[in-house]
Amino acid sequence: MSGDAIVSVKNLHKWFGMLHVLQDVSIDVNLREVVCIIGRSGSGKSTMLRCINFLEEPSQGVIEVNKIRVEITPKTKHHDKAMNQLVRSVRLETGMVFQEFNLFPHMNVLENVIEAPMIVKGMDRAKAIEIAEFNLNRVGMLFKKDEYPLRLSGGQKQRVAIARALAMEPKVMLFDEPTSALDPELIGEVLNVMKVLANEGMTMLVVTHEMGFAREVADRVVVMADGQIIEENKPDEIFRAPKDARTKALIDRYRSGKSEQEKQESAF
Amino acid sequence: MSVDPHLDMGTALVNLHKRQKFIYNLKVTGVWVALITIVTIGLWFLKIDPSYIFLHYDIILQGAGTTIAVSLASILIATLLALAGSIARLSSNWIAQGISGFYVSLIRGTPLLIQIYFIYLGLPQLGQRISDLGYPDIGKLFILDAIPAGILALSLNYGAYMTEIFRAGLQSISHGQREAAIALGMTPGQVTRKIILPQAIRIIIPDVGNQFIAMQKDSALVSVMGVWEITYLANHYARRDSKYMEMFLIAATAYWILTIISSYFQGILEKRMAQAYER
Repeated sequence: MSGDAIVSVKNLHKWFGMLHVLQDVSIDVNLREVVCIIGRSGSGKSTMLRCINFLEEPSQGVIEVNKIRVEITPKTKHHDKAMNQLVRSVRLETGMVFQEFNLFPHMNVLENVIEAPMIVKGMDRAKAIEIAEFNLNRVGMLFKKDEYPLRLSGGQKQRVAIARALAMEPKVMLFDEPTSALDPELIGEVLNVMKVLANEGMTMLVVTHEMGFAREVADRVVVMADGQIIEENKPDEIFRAPKDARTKALIDRYRSGKSEQEKQESAF
Repeated sequence: MSVDPHLDMGTALVNLHKRQKFIYNLKVTGVWVALITIVTIGLWFLKIDPSYIFLHYDIILQGAGTTIAVSLASILIATLLALAGSIARLSSNWIAQGISGFYVSLIRGTPLLIQIYFIYLGLPQLGQRISDLGYPDIGKLFILDAIPAGILALSLNYGAYMTEIFRAGLQSISHGQREAAIALGMTPGQVTRKIILPQAIRIIIPDVGNQFIAMQKDSALVSVMGVWEITYLANHYARRDSKYMEMFLIAATAYWILTIISSYFQGILEKRMAQAYER
């Protein structure tokens, strides 16, 4: 692990059957750093993110989160007891936000947020509620704490999902295309919350198609294509002077489509 | 605040719709009454003895108690079997999967009547053999009275079908729910108990209700062991007095009424389960 990296991925490979979707990917994320991962659909960016908390089983490589090191070789048994425990301890250091929110529909907002601290950390209910209310307030959703997810808009659901992940007090937040399932007019409120988190010094790894967000908020932008990292740099450098032709194509596409979209995005 | 000038029209439309729906339901009820009347008159013409029915309906009521008790006990045990069976079917444990798959295949592949004979008449034969080998205490366990044997057979049989219902219910919960829960650090057991099952139960409940309604009538099969439930008593008195039509009419009506009552409770339960999902 180099310097004060809190997430370190080394030589990560992932095969889906015969498909080699991650080909020797390495990436470090430092404490308090915001890293945005961009790339076309199918470039492997989501798979890479999901390998960090083992929602996908890495085929080979090293994942290290907050000094918990997991080395995976093709011979690794993914479901033996020791491995399960190691993976779970990694998951306790990471908060995950999904494209499809995945709130628990049978629980109201508050129950969604207190459930994991109570049953995973064994926290008592009063303490869990205190933490939940603090985090719901952080994302501006405290006023809906007794509502069921069905009655929330997409943007509100995603903000609750962010609060739910924050309530576990993770060292790093992983965002997997958090605004891709949202109506355009609801994207701004979610990006706003993420921006506030970034300013508070939360370490964040964000897979996104929101170039405006990447440019404005990221400390570093990582570009992926065909299962590899093809370029990484400060956002200004990436957007002003992309080195790889594929990065240039990605950014040009964003620029041409931006005239319409930018009006919506400038809302945040 | 301005009042919508067309508010009256909206109210009028809602009331009209309600009235039309009420009249429609009244007509449907009318058809039911007409059908029952026609059947009753037809039976009257054919010299069915109504006085026999009025004198003997209480016999069937006695049987109804047994039918309800056997069905309730069986659906309860079947539900537990189905819960365990479905979780085993979906587990990645090869022993659990092997056992549950075998159970479902065997039970669904054989008639309930044969399963009843097997448990009531077949098992004692095994018990006798075990006793002969010098283990009379174990052998005794294989000799079941009619009612426990009936409950065991119905439970095993419905447990197998309901295993598949539960499995489908569990599988219908989106994969994202599981992912969100494990990403929060929950163990597989916690995910099933706290996240998947509570959502699946809402989907499963209507089917369990259907199974219970079906079971009330399948429980008639335990009459072959001499359990004094509705069908056995109807059969017994019908033979004694040669009043087959009369006796089976009462029995059929009793089952029908039980089913209507069960459907009513099923509806209430479903409404309650849908709470979190109402806008």
